[in-house]
Amino acid sequence: MDVDVVSVSVDSYYVHKMWNDNELGQMVEGGIPYQMGADQNGQMGREYGVYNETAGVEQRGRFLIDPDGIIQSVEIIGNPVGQNVNENIRQIKAFQFIRENNGKVACPASWEPGQQTLTPRPGLVGNVWKQWKPTLD
Amino acid sequence: MTARVGQKAPDFDLPSYQKGSFKHVKLSDYAGKWLLLYFYPGDFTFV
Repeated sequence: MDVDVVSVSVDSYYVHKMWNDNELGQMVEGGIPYQMGADQNGQMGREYGVYNETAGVEQRGRFLIDPDGIIQSVEIIGNPVGQNVNENIRQIKAFQFIRENNGKVACPASWEPGQQTLTPRPGLVGNVWKQWKPTLD
Repeated sequence: MTARVGQKAPDFDLPSYQKGSFKHVKLSDYAGKWLLLYFYPGDFTFV
């Protein structure tokens, strides 16, 4: 899966180094592979709508940006709950699949690679139910 | 500029740390690539 990651918090890069060296490096062999950005004045967080002025920190927020620099997906959630990494991966694969197909397909709810896609066209209006059934585990 | 789905991501240029080096990371480094930007409340927090 071809995607780069950049993490951002208001911590300085000195603290990023200490966190990587002392804690994250114990969980991820070789340490964190991606760039850990230091947004110490919260300016970037403000532009992305995740900076909490009261607390002085960034909200947990994930932005998927395509090769043209366009934001394709956003999730911002409260502090005590972590991201669903599998869901992030699912969305990345779905958006990459759509781009590879020049935007001519759509990935229905809970789509996973290899599963059926839909091709929007006039004849599909009102007829999705004939082609695609939602499934719940 | 405010981040919105379907619009250009706001530009950024931050000091950064990666694998033993202090660096700079900016949006244009990722032109032509998929990028997952991940904000979080703070280093050494628990989740």
